[in-house]
Amino acid sequence: MKKRVAILTAAAMSLTLCAGCGSSGQSVPQDGEVQDIRLMVWAPSEDQSKDSGEWLQKCCEAFAQQHPEYNIDFVYGVADEATAAGQVAQDAEASADVFMYANDNLTVLTDAKAAAKFGGIYEQEIMDTNSSTVTDSLREDGFLYGVPFTTNTWYMFYDKSVFSEEDVKNLDTMLEKGVVSFPFTNSWYLPSFYVGNGCTLFEDGTVEEAGVDFTGEKAYEVTDYLIDLFANPNFVVDADGSGMAGLRDGSINAIFTGSWDAGSIKEILGENMGVSALPTYTLNGEEKQMMAYAGSKAIGVNAASKNMVASIQLAVYLGSAEAQKLHYELRNVVPCNEELLQDEAIANDMLVTAQNDTFNRTSILQPFVGRMSNCWTPVENMGKGIRNKTVTHENSKEQTDAMNDAMNSDGI
Amino acid sequence: MAGKKQRSAKRVRTVNNTIVHIALAILAVIWVFPIAWVVLTSFRAEKGSYVSTFLPKSYTLANYAKLFTDTTILNFPKMFGNTLFIAICSCVLSTFYVLSVSYCLSRLRFKMRKPYMNMAMVLGLFPGFMSMVAVYFILKALGLSEGGLIRLALILCYSGGAGLGFQIAKGFFDTIPLAIDEAALIDGCTRWQIFWKITLPLSKPVIVYTVLTAFIGPWVDFIFAKVICRANADYYTVAIGLWRMLEKEYIDNWYTCFAAGAVLISIPIAALFLFMQRYYVNGMSGAVKG
Repeated sequence: MKKRVAILTAAAMSLTLCAGCGSSGQSVPQDGEVQDIRLMVWAPSEDQSKDSGEWLQKCCEAFAQQHPEYNIDFVYGVADEATAAGQVAQDAEASADVFMYANDNLTVLTDAKAAAKFGGIYEQEIMDTNSSTVTDSLREDGFLYGVPFTTNTWYMFYDKSVFSEEDVKNLDTMLEKGVVSFPFTNSWYLPSFYVGNGCTLFEDGTVEEAGVDFTGEKAYEVTDYLIDLFANPNFVVDADGSGMAGLRDGSINAIFTGSWDAGSIKEILGENMGVSALPTYTLNGEEKQMMAYAGSKAIGVNAASKNMVASIQLAVYLGSAEAQKLHYELRNVVPCNEELLQDEAIANDMLVTAQNDTFNRTSILQPFVGRMSNCWTPVENMGKGIRNKTVTHENSKEQTDAMNDAMNSDGI
Repeated sequence: MAGKKQRSAKRVRTVNNTIVHIALAILAVIWVFPIAWVVLTSFRAEKGSYVSTFLPKSYTLANYAKLFTDTTILNFPKMFGNTLFIAICSCVLSTFYVLSVSYCLSRLRFKMRKPYMNMAMVLGLFPGFMSMVAVYFILKALGLSEGGLIRLALILCYSGGAGLGFQIAKGFFDTIPLAIDEAALIDGCTRWQIFWKITLPLSKPVIVYTVLTAFIGPWVDFIFAKVICRANADYYTVAIGLWRMLEKEYIDNWYTCFAAGAVLISIPIAALFLFMQRYYVNGMSGAVKG
């Protein structure tokens, strides 16, 4: 029924299309005059809910007080960081002026020319308060497209009663003492072993033509290591929430995930919750550091915004130290502002330490070049192949080469 | 000799029946299995999305309570209300459209009758989401993509094209003898009166069928609701709400509530079906005697 809907409505209404096309002109502000503006802001629902402190509303009101030159009518909408970029790219005109997005969606925005560039004093302010690694994750062709407010990556949560701080430095040591679960069939996690042994994606992640280098001896060794890892009786594959369930019933002592699961893990392990950056693994007697994909979440401004200056100012404010501090206090969102990370209370939080340690030391920036989209399924298939025992020591070389070929091919 | 043969025939039949029933029982279990699992999960007290046992270790009603009390992040009661409102309005509208169009095509003769039926069939061959983006921009141009008008937009979307789905109802109307209409005409009925007072009372089964499909369509639709609602959380339908519960940030806390929600959304459909079922049976038995 609805399928016909569409076509019929399209036919019937195309004549009336022009009726709604009228656009309102923007008034030119005069000195000392209060400007009436309407700003639409999108954020995840937790940022707006009463139970978690209405971060967005509080910040927007504070912004309005700092800027008496505007008389702002805020309109709030719900869009989380993972989907906002897609929504804005779909129809920038009807989207929020200010929104939050995860940096792996940056190309979605720039391809649709939907994100505003930050320049001049605003860019300077952002650069001054954030590390260049974080801001680099929001740059394309040298332009900055957002105000970072947190980093986005995964690391290790473990049970302190099973592992000591010394144990968690190496995965193989951990496997001797307790049960470790890893999302083996998830391609956001599995490449960490390959990258740890010198495999590269698009050179430093930005050179699209360079392609993926997941082949040669450095990759074969890792595949062989993974086959052995899977066979280890103390290793469990984490899929569909099984790691968390195992942590809950005590059959698993360490899992790999990110800040979004921290609350639940705290509830399960209580005082025994340990968090740390990724461990190393022992490959042919040598210690190799696992390297996660890392990104950032940022506040973006819609290129089609009718109040560009106010929108950019609001975005900069929402990513400022003050707003990040409130975000951390209300919702445990790990800040990335350099000054804030010096703050004693924040610096002593193990979740913050682990996330930033992972970001700075045990991760690479997740490439967001277009061809990165070819890189997910082949790695996932490798993990599944090892799990199904179709990838064995006998054919590991061919299978690794096949994965590399698939990652470098544009076909399906 | 003959008696022996009869016994063996009886035995063969018993054996056959047993085999058939066992096969049917197995199929029934396979079919009911996922539904039973969802219902059990909705009462599960252990948290999380992964369980190692089929039967929950302990039972609770808290998942249902949470759906209706923990409304600050995912407002299930509101979504349920939105969906119910949209589904009822679209159901009434589309049922009216479908039955009217079917009646016209079955009883009236006009120039565009054949071309219209051909066009409807050709249009019906295309998947609806093909035009999704166009529909969105049309609704936006008409100013229906923001605020309370989103509900109207969704109702229009679900009911607007209903007139193309006339085939089954028209087929049913074709089986009602034309002589009845003629008799009514002679008695001075207008076309509308014939439709309303004669054809419809004779067509209960097909009305039931039309109402059910017209209700279920908007009730379970995800794609159009997602495209049109965008960031307007106040107008989300249950399909979007349930989908959000399975996102990585929520899944650990909301998984069992998701199952509870899935059970709850089946209630209106089941109630509607049970209520209409008797008309279904009545309609089939109360035949028109030529």
